[in-house]
Amino acid sequence: MWGLGILKGMAVTMRNAMRGPITVRYPDQRLPLPERARWAVSHRYDENGRPKCTACLICVKECPDHILSIAVSRTADGGKHIDSYRYELGACMMCGLCVEACPYDAIEMSHEYELASADQGDLVRELLHDVDAASPRRAASPAKEAADA
Amino acid sequence: MSPLLQALLRTLAAVALLLVNGVVLILMLRKVLARLHLRLGPTRVGPWGVLQTVADVFKLLTKEDFRPSGADKWLFRLAPVLVFVPSFMAYLPLALSDTWRFSDLDTGVLFVLAAGSLVPIGILMAGWGSNAKWSLLGGLRAAGQQIAYEIPLMLSVLGPVMFAGSLNVAAIVNAQRGVWLGVIPRWFVLPQLVGFVIFAIAGQAETSQTPFDMSEAESELITGFANEYSGMRFGFMFLAEFSNMFVVSALGVTLFFGGWLVPWADRNPLALALGPAVFMLKTYLGIAVMMWVRGTLPRVRVDQLLAFSWKTLIPVSLAWTVLSALVMRAVNL
Repeated sequence: MWGLGILKGMAVTMRNAMRGPITVRYPDQRLPLPERARWAVSHRYDENGRPKCTACLICVKECPDHILSIAVSRTADGGKHIDSYRYELGACMMCGLCVEACPYDAIEMSHEYELASADQGDLVRELLHDVDAASPRRAASPAKEAADA
Repeated sequence: MSPLLQALLRTLAAVALLLVNGVVLILMLRKVLARLHLRLGPTRVGPWGVLQTVADVFKLLTKEDFRPSGADKWLFRLAPVLVFVPSFMAYLPLALSDTWRFSDLDTGVLFVLAAGSLVPIGILMAGWGSNAKWSLLGGLRAAGQQIAYEIPLMLSVLGPVMFAGSLNVAAIVNAQRGVWLGVIPRWFVLPQLVGFVIFAIAGQAETSQTPFDMSEAESELITGFANEYSGMRFGFMFLAEFSNMFVVSALGVTLFFGGWLVPWADRNPLALALGPAVFMLKTYLGIAVMMWVRGTLPRVRVDQLLAFSWKTLIPVSLAWTVLSALVMRAVNL
C-alpha cells in the first residue's frame, strides 16, 4: 500500500518517543564506560607499587603514530633504568597496539576519557620518570630479588 | 471603546499570541525532536530547559546585524518584513472561540490562504537579495514548492467550506456542532478524510516542514534563503516559520476538527467557556503531529517534491473536490 512505509516510520519514532531518552546530562551524570573502552595509555604497577615496565621498547616500535619514547640508561648492576617514559597523548589514536604488543602486561588502555586541556603541555605526558625498570628474571624469582635488595 | 482603539488592541493581542507561540513552539520542537531521537534536548537554561528560547531571543537581539557587501540593500532589508508580515496577517481571521477572535472576516479562510501565499515572495526576495548561491537556490526552491502546494491546499479547504457554506471560520466551526448517528461528532474530518490528508501534506509543505524543507535544506543549503541573515532579521524569518506552523494547524483544527468545540458537549456553557483553551490544545496537538512527521521522515528530492504535487496531489484534490460536491448535492448533508 502506498504510504505504508511512512506509517511504519512514524510507528518507529513513536516507539522511540515512548522509550524516553537514553542520554544523560553529561558532566552531572555519567554513563559507565564499556569494559573494553580504550582511552589514554597508562602503566600498571605490581603489588609493591613499582611499574611493571621492563623498558623492552616493543611498545615504542609498535606505535604507528610514533608517540611513545623511552629514555633508558644502565644501572650499576647492569639492569635497566627508565629516565623517562614519554607519551604524546595529543597525537594518540587509542588504537591499543602498544598494549597488545606488551609482553609483560605493563601498560593498559585506561578509562580516563576526559582528556581535553587548555594547556598544550598537558597533551604530552611523562608517564614514568627516573625509576628502575622491572626485570623479568627478578620478577620470576622473588628469592633472588630479595637477595639483590 | 472607539473602534480604532479596539482594532489596535486586537492586533496587539494577535502579536502577543504570535510571539508567545514562537517562543513556546521552538522549545516544543526541540523537546519533541529530542524525544524522538532518544535525547534529552535543552536542559540547562531554567528548569527542564524552559528558558532556552528566551535565552535564544536575547542572543538574536544582541547579535550584529550584518549585511553582506554584495547584497541588494533594499531587498535584503525588506525580505524579513515580507516574510514575517503575511504570517502575522494570517492570525487575524482565526477565531479561538465564538467571542475570542481578532476580527470577524466573512472571507476568513480565503484571507489566511491569501496571506500565506505572500510568503514565497519574501523568501524569494531574501534569496535573491543575499547575493549568495545557497540563498538563491533556497529562495527558488521555496517559490517553486509553495506555488505547487498552495493549489492542493486551497482545493482541500474547499470541502469543509462547501459543507459549511461559508468562508467565515466561526461559521465553519458552528456548522460542526452536533453528532452524526447519535455518537460520531459532526467534525468534517470524517466525510473529508481524503481532503484532510491532502491538507496535512500540503500544509507540511507550505510551512517548509522536514519532508518538504527544500528551501532550508540544512545539509545541502545551510538554511537556504536565511543563510546570510543574522540577528533579529534571521529571528523574524525563524519566527514566521513557526507562526506559519501554528496557522496551518489552527486552520486544520477549524476546518476539520470542530475548532473550539468539545465533542458531545458543544452546547454546554462550561465547555464553550473553555473554548479558547480547547482550541489551543487541539492546535498544539496538531503541531505535535507535524513535528512527529518532521522527526521521522527524510527530505525528499526537489523533482520528487514537485512531481508529487503536480502529478498526484493536484489531480487527486481536484477529483476529490468534484466528488464531494456531487455527494453533498446528492445526499444533502
